[in-house]
Amino acid sequence: MSSPIISVKDLTKKYKQTEAVKAINFEVEEGEIFGFLGPNGAGKSTTINMICTMLKPTSGSITINGYDAKKEKDKVRASIGIIFQENTLDEKLTANENLMLHCRFYNVPKDKRQERIHEVLEIVDLVDERQQRVETFSGGMKRRLEIARGLLHYPKVLFLDEPTVGLDPQTRSHLWEYILKLKEKEGITMFLTTHYLDEAEISDRVAIMDQGDIIAIDSPTALKDQLGGDMIELSTEDNDQALREIEEKVNGAEVSVKGDTIHLKVQSSDAFISSFIKTLEIPITRLNIRKPTLNDVFLSFTGRKIGDAKE
Amino acid sequence: MEGIFAIWQRDLTKFFRDRARLIGSFSMPILFLLIFGGGMSGSMESMMAGNMPEGAEGFNYVEFVFPGIVAMTLLMTSIFSAMSVIEDKDFGYMKEILVSPISRVSIAIGKMLGAATIATIQGVILFLLIPFLGLSYNLMALIQVIPFMFLLGCALSGLGLLFASLISSTQGFQLTVQILVMPMIFLSGALFPVSNMPAWMDIIVKINPVTYGVDVMKKIMIDVENMPVAVLDAMGLNLSVFGQEVTMFAEVIFIAGFAALLVLFATFSFQRANA
Repeated sequence: MSSPIISVKDLTKKYKQTEAVKAINFEVEEGEIFGFLGPNGAGKSTTINMICTMLKPTSGSITINGYDAKKEKDKVRASIGIIFQENTLDEKLTANENLMLHCRFYNVPKDKRQERIHEVLEIVDLVDERQQRVETFSGGMKRRLEIARGLLHYPKVLFLDEPTVGLDPQTRSHLWEYILKLKEKEGITMFLTTHYLDEAEISDRVAIMDQGDIIAIDSPTALKDQLGGDMIELSTEDNDQALREIEEKVNGAEVSVKGDTIHLKVQSSDAFISSFIKTLEIPITRLNIRKPTLNDVFLSFTGRKIGDAKE
Repeated sequence: MEGIFAIWQRDLTKFFRDRARLIGSFSMPILFLLIFGGGMSGSMESMMAGNMPEGAEGFNYVEFVFPGIVAMTLLMTSIFSAMSVIEDKDFGYMKEILVSPISRVSIAIGKMLGAATIATIQGVILFLLIPFLGLSYNLMALIQVIPFMFLLGCALSGLGLLFASLISSTQGFQLTVQILVMPMIFLSGALFPVSNMPAWMDIIVKINPVTYGVDVMKKIMIDVENMPVAVLDAMGLNLSVFGQEVTMFAEVIFIAGFAALLVLFATFSFQRANA
């Protein structure tokens, strides 16, 4: 395998009182979508800011595209594109002017600028709006324009920090379509943070950060598999009777009761469920089968849901 | 270079798009010209005449005050244009600049040149008022003074950048700048001669960079060579520091050095900035 595009070693950031990032290590391979998850205050933003050369690490090393983030800031900056959480477009200027400025900041060769601007605008479907001022754009259009701008200098890694925050669900799913299209077309490595764990499912690998530490790092599937199988939730007309029946006749299921719902954790619900329903004599009033989500993974690693974390 | 030019051009484009700012920024100097030029010229001239020896009747207050008001416009516009740095931080655009590979020096220079250009344009537009004020300056002098106005604009916008790096809110910036700008104008010789000041005020006059800017502008624009010494005295155009008369060359060098020093400060502040 080729050397990783991002390599972080013993990265630490200390503030006066607290240690925001505690000697973390990870690598990101070229071409993958790397999800970086964690509750607010986990140290995600601090880590990203250090990787993007915006914040000086207390100790540890970061290498991006072969350049040292401490010593070769300019080269690192030229190798990455960043879509920030908040809007960083100049709203008084047109879309085209925003993109042109970016080309000039990043020294895109003069004769290639128009061509590239057209190319990125096409990816995000904003070609017809290029001469309009950004202040007339909707939230989703602004986001798309920012993504387009982040691509102009052909970065090796694209950082997307909460790219869909504050957008309505429809716009969010559209945006992900664009991002996936981008990955297929350009093969850019993407480093992504998001609060919406369902969105992180598109990642090739995810790292979960909590209280300054990386507590898990693997593909979403592998992480979910670690939880051991599928979740079945059911209610019956008589739960006590049902529990007795389950105890007598059913093998290979982890049983727990929460309120009036019985939870069964099984290796594979597909094989289990058909025989299970026939076995049970008590009528089932409600049945829900679900695969574990990243939320369950997060819950099991941190002991709380992502939304529960203190701000 | 490209980065400097891009930052410069962006600030200029935004200036020309903001009509309200364009018009609003002329109201103050025009007001001053009306009050000082029209209203006060009579009393100022008779006051001055009392100090002058016989036969020195060449004192024209409007001629004296006009370069001062142009310098004042430069000062205000340069410093307030530097506020764009704070606005860029507030609106997030500074992040886009800071994460790009542009060198921090280029950001500082680009911002400085942008503010200085806007200030110079505003100053030059004031020249259009010359005929209406009943003044006549030598055309060559007017052309010669423009490069110096630009240099002065650079120094003053550097000062603005310094404030902008220390103050994080636009309100705070406006307040601080207003408190600082007023004494800088009044104690610079822009509006009245500062030749007979109390000692402590004289010190402020001499460390105020605007003093030298105003002095150079007046020396270029007003025909000093053919003026009686007494009138020069009355106009305060024989500035001296530690008993040495200051030459125009020294003043220009001083202002250029001042601008260079402030660019260094600004660069340093951009280096530290974590947007």
